[in-house]
Amino acid sequence: MSSHAATATIDHHHDPTTSTGIPNKKLLMWTFLASDCMFFGALISTHLIYRLHPPAGGLDPKQIFSVELTSFSTFVLLMSSLMMALAVTAIQKGNLKSCRWSLLTTIFFGMIFLGCQVYEFEHFVHEKNMTLSNSLLGSTFYTLTGTHGCHVAIGVLWLSLMYVRSFKVASRPSWLNHQLLHALTFIVVLLLSLKVTLGLVHSLQTVPTFGAAISDFFSHQGIYIGGFLLALWGLFWFARPRGTVQFNESNAIDVESMGLYWHFVDIVWIVIFTAVYLLEYL
Amino acid sequence: MSAHSAAVSSPGSGHDAGHAEENKFQIYVQIAMLLAVITGVEIAIVYFPWAKWIVVSLLVVLSVVKFMFVIFYFMHLRWDKPFCTILFFIGLIIAGGTAWALLALFTAEASLPLPV
Repeated sequence: MSSHAATATIDHHHDPTTSTGIPNKKLLMWTFLASDCMFFGALISTHLIYRLHPPAGGLDPKQIFSVELTSFSTFVLLMSSLMMALAVTAIQKGNLKSCRWSLLTTIFFGMIFLGCQVYEFEHFVHEKNMTLSNSLLGSTFYTLTGTHGCHVAIGVLWLSLMYVRSFKVASRPSWLNHQLLHALTFIVVLLLSLKVTLGLVHSLQTVPTFGAAISDFFSHQGIYIGGFLLALWGLFWFARPRGTVQFNESNAIDVESMGLYWHFVDIVWIVIFTAVYLLEYL
Repeated sequence: MSAHSAAVSSPGSGHDAGHAEENKFQIYVQIAMLLAVITGVEIAIVYFPWAKWIVVSLLVVLSVVKFMFVIFYFMHLRWDKPFCTILFFIGLIIAGGTAWALLALFTAEASLPLPV
């Protein structure tokens, strides 16, 4: 890591070496986000058009949606945006430890959001009988929120890879294999944590007593819990200090570009939360 | 990564940038709290017995406020060159215009599907 003195001379918002004065990676990301606005604009409009002209006998969203769960998801995504902003600030100041913790917290919140969405979709399909193809509401709702969920999943993957990247050691010749295994372990931890958490929720909802639910959870999810703990140990092993890392203030633009993407996912959800969910309750 | 990504600034702007960096933590936390409160208000007002147009207007305004706070503070547009803002708003205006046009077209009587 570099010193604070070096940080004071770095301007992370402007780059005089480019013709625009904007770092190229940042310009690329803003261009992509502008195009993604149009993509989501089309999906949101499609949903709203069909909601304004609902077919006779169609499903009633008020009987299907859960404003409590969606509000919780919204709050979680807002907090993930805060942690992402703090991660960018931390790496701009050369504070690698703080940046890593902020990235991990952002990933944690992102996974909670994804878990809520998986739970919501599963609930809608199995309990409310709303599938992608059996109703107009289902088609537009799953297409829109599913596309947003894919964006969140890509964001979580990108965050995970950036976190793993922050452990790259300059002196090791086999760093690529090491980083790939580290990334693979991280992804396994994320997937197993999602599986185990949803399994716990399922047991608590389907089994009447708490004790029996916990017993049911361990009997069904035991192998996944074991795998999760093993992969978690692997993560700690990969994160052990191995020398001077090649990740400092000069990587701030990479973290910032990723942050722009993550915040964009958040602003899209701000619109979806109002347009798709809240307006149905009027 | 290359040194291209982190440009060296002039002493004056470096001092300003350094001062802004110090305050960012507090700004971000305050904005996050504000966004959480606005979200709470949004959820509450849909249950108020007000006229529909008032509630819809309030929801739109509050969403726009949240949107602007995120893009100008969390996404750093406030501190970046104006070209980034212009670039993003080009996409945003085209998306908004398309949405408005589609909603207007499909509200027109002539475009409604015929009854089966």
